[in-house]
Amino acid sequence: MNAPVQTAEARELALAGMGASRLRKEDARFIQGKGNYVDDIKMPGMLHMDIVRSPIAHGRIVKINKEAALAIPGVHAVLTADDLKPLKLHWMPTLAGDVAAVLADEKVHFQMQEVAIVIADDRYIAADAVEAVEIEYEELPVVLDPYAALQPGAPVIREDLAGKTEGAHGKRDHHNHIFTWDAGDKSAADAAFDNAEITVSQHMHYPRVHPCPLETCGCVASFDPIKGDLTTFITSQAPHVVRTVVSMLSGIPESKVRIVSPDIGGGFGNKVGIYPGYVCAIVASIVLGRPVKWVEDRIENISSTAFARDYHMDGELAATADGKITGLRVNVVADHGAFDACADPTKFPAGMFHIVSGSYDIPAAHASVKGVYTNKAPGGVAYRCSFRVTEAVYLIERMVDVLAQKLGMDKAEIRAKNFVKKEQFPYTSAFGFEYDSGDYQTALDKVLEAVDYKGLRAEQAAKRADPNSPTLMGIGLVTFTEVVGAGPSKMCDILGVGMFDSCEIRIHPTGSAIARMGTITQGQGHQTTYAQIIATELGIPSEVIQVEEGDTSTAPYGLGTYGSRSTPVAGAAIALAARKIHAKARKIAAHMLEVNENDLDWEVDRFKVKGDDSKFKTMADVAWQAYHQPPDGLEPGLEAVHYYDPPNFTFPFGIYLCVVDIDRATGETKIRRFYALDDCGTRINPMIIDGQIHGGLTEGFAVAMGQQMPFDAQGNLLGNTLMDYFLPTFVETPHWETDHTVTPSPHHPLGAKGVAESPHVGSIPTFTSAVVDAFSHLGVTHLDMPHNAFRTWKALREHGAAL
Amino acid sequence: MEVKLDKQYPLDVDAARAWALLTDLKATANCMPGAEITEQLSETSFKGGVKVKVGPAVAQFGGTVDVIEAVAAERKMVLRGKGADKGGSSASMDLTAIITADPANPAHCVLNGQAAVIVNGKFAQFGGRMMVQVSDMLLAQFVENFRQTALTLPAAEGSPAAATAATASASGGEAAAPATAPKAPVVAREINGLAIFWALVKSWFGGLLGKKA
Repeated sequence: MNAPVQTAEARELALAGMGASRLRKEDARFIQGKGNYVDDIKMPGMLHMDIVRSPIAHGRIVKINKEAALAIPGVHAVLTADDLKPLKLHWMPTLAGDVAAVLADEKVHFQMQEVAIVIADDRYIAADAVEAVEIEYEELPVVLDPYAALQPGAPVIREDLAGKTEGAHGKRDHHNHIFTWDAGDKSAADAAFDNAEITVSQHMHYPRVHPCPLETCGCVASFDPIKGDLTTFITSQAPHVVRTVVSMLSGIPESKVRIVSPDIGGGFGNKVGIYPGYVCAIVASIVLGRPVKWVEDRIENISSTAFARDYHMDGELAATADGKITGLRVNVVADHGAFDACADPTKFPAGMFHIVSGSYDIPAAHASVKGVYTNKAPGGVAYRCSFRVTEAVYLIERMVDVLAQKLGMDKAEIRAKNFVKKEQFPYTSAFGFEYDSGDYQTALDKVLEAVDYKGLRAEQAAKRADPNSPTLMGIGLVTFTEVVGAGPSKMCDILGVGMFDSCEIRIHPTGSAIARMGTITQGQGHQTTYAQIIATELGIPSEVIQVEEGDTSTAPYGLGTYGSRSTPVAGAAIALAARKIHAKARKIAAHMLEVNENDLDWEVDRFKVKGDDSKFKTMADVAWQAYHQPPDGLEPGLEAVHYYDPPNFTFPFGIYLCVVDIDRATGETKIRRFYALDDCGTRINPMIIDGQIHGGLTEGFAVAMGQQMPFDAQGNLLGNTLMDYFLPTFVETPHWETDHTVTPSPHHPLGAKGVAESPHVGSIPTFTSAVVDAFSHLGVTHLDMPHNAFRTWKALREHGAAL
Repeated sequence: MEVKLDKQYPLDVDAARAWALLTDLKATANCMPGAEITEQLSETSFKGGVKVKVGPAVAQFGGTVDVIEAVAAERKMVLRGKGADKGGSSASMDLTAIITADPANPAHCVLNGQAAVIVNGKFAQFGGRMMVQVSDMLLAQFVENFRQTALTLPAAEGSPAAATAATASASGGEAAAPATAPKAPVVAREINGLAIFWALVKSWFGGLLGKKA
């Protein structure tokens, strides 16, 4: 059975294990149009659902007339909240401890809220019938600004919460107040400010944006009235959690609910939550006994499924006169929309926002986040970031720039001065996070040298000296730390389920393998990278390792993919499941080679007898033996399951530098250069990492330079089509330069930290830093996003820099 | 979405006839492309509808129009209209219309309109960019219809128009034709989607050229 003798290096290369830039296994089907997305799924007898939505942002439902819709041939049902009431499904719990209307119950709270559903033979009939449902509203005053929402006489958005002074996260002190969450030590922070030699403060708004994945949300629900079981194909980043919730809501035992996330066309946090459309399709299928498909359109996706951000932030830094930061205070008013449907670990209503002390050794810090209801769609998800980490990183990076500007210090210098030093790790921040590892200075030096930072500053000085320069040049610098890999179940849970993740590996008799995880890829390339981890751990070529995720009937329970948790959590589960198999394989190999286990060495793909290279058994040999004739006392077979509960989060970091040239006549910002150095610890597939970084930077560029969800005074969302909502294509996207350092995580079995979100989190403040830098000589300390040409042109005019 | 309009339209109609038409809400509504009054609910309250067609999108607003104020001495009319479309749009409008005589030419007047239009729902979301242009188009058609209808009204005794007509008759000129032998007005009953589209394209190019110049 043994293959011809090859060198260990050659055999290692052949495995295409960790560190190999293995081509993506997924792409063969995607580039041929052979993916299997929710909307590709067709079932016999399948009906189609469409949703009647509120045209106004706030109002009372006076009358709903279904008759004209029901009269349309091909329409099977029109359901409203009144129809869901007997099932107690007209409201549903949210992941944040609030409730949300499934279909508007007497009142609409935001424009495009779900009011009724129509089930018809096809999608077109359903859409026509939606137009025919007549609804009369009595308009109510609209409140869109979270500060205005907290005024004493503000309109009451949530009448269903009348008299409730206690929310899921403590006291409510106003009818539109959801929670106030504090982290850090307020008195210590206040003392730092009292004794500060210098302080700075800055107000900033991180606008409401939408993750806008290419594939919108949808599902196909199929209830079998004979067997009493429910199968639902769904666009979900967390299918196992969906199964638990569906079982809890419907009363169908979890064993009879099967949730399948097939191919997912991007999630970015948008596909974590449970939306009314899913619930309605499931109810409709149960009621009608036929499969029901619902797939939202783009306008519905942007208007009603989860948005991100919308944090109004006030930051303050206290420092010594020579630029050592001594204190940080942050106050946030968070616009959560009409229902609190943030997808955060239960105990953290503002997610991991308390990473807000960033990469800096700040002795005293305090942050307070106040969640507020407004007449906007619910959400507040982690758009390509760990929970609220993007907002936190934006704030601290902006504040460090503001402080540097006040002190006349260089951005790089002030950062170096305040870094958590390499020898301080593991480092406990003022907010209580234990940073696992980092080497910020080495990474910063590498970037500054790569871009010739001094040369750039000299060029900028020369341009500023020339009054006829057609452009303003700006240099942005960000040195960020992320917290990902949620999370230790003693701290993190979703609806009470700990945020572990899982892996099951089976080695087949002939040495190939199948592995199943509780996560679900949405473009991350799990089928490629997970196999590489197993290849390295077990010496099986990644080519013969099948990776399956997303089907709750076959995969072990896991919390899903978001918050860069796949590699830090599921990746660790994979390694540890593989190591269980490895331990058993060693026993079998020892038996086969008639030696003691301790006399064996592991080399790439085989156990060798120490001192005799000719005596070995490969993993494939062992697998055959495991099924053929296992040694006495060992069970046959070769498989393992591991549930990994991480001991801590991981803390990837990066140093990003951006050079912009702003046209003084048009306000157009050209990204001349963007240099991104990421340290995600151990690198599993450098090609996929580069792809992830390119994607994250592009989405960061989108947010910083153009994405916004503008509302008019009546609460009409004016940017819910791709005509208005900026989705950069190849045409607009700048060139990205990537680089890396490797600082492994000491507590992770592979040393890996996760990477997909760093480029999004890190790049957004870098763009702002660069744009503001272009204006800094004019005394500008901050400009809110998006930095589109019109807004930048207005800033040019305001500060006398326009041509 | 709120659009504020403040327009002045010089008309070759005398102020008295223009005011007479304006106070006949049913007739005035008929001048609005796609609009009609279907029912009078009270002295000052009317029920009606407007059908607006822009390309493939048709909205049929049904609603009410109330006369808030009508001051004959100032030839001033304040109206409030409210309506909703079954397909998920709603609109309201506060309109103040004043007719001022043209001091230079007693046979002419100026129709002054100030309106605040609030549109919600699909029309606001999809039509936001076009609201101002579409409103301009609508009003231009309305004013033309209004003018033509007003010219068909009999001139008041001793009014400048009557005097002009008399003079014209006497001299055998044709200027008297509107007063003496009214032509049926060419009233556009529905908004012409193509015309609106064309007007938008023209104004867009106009804007571009304007910027360049």
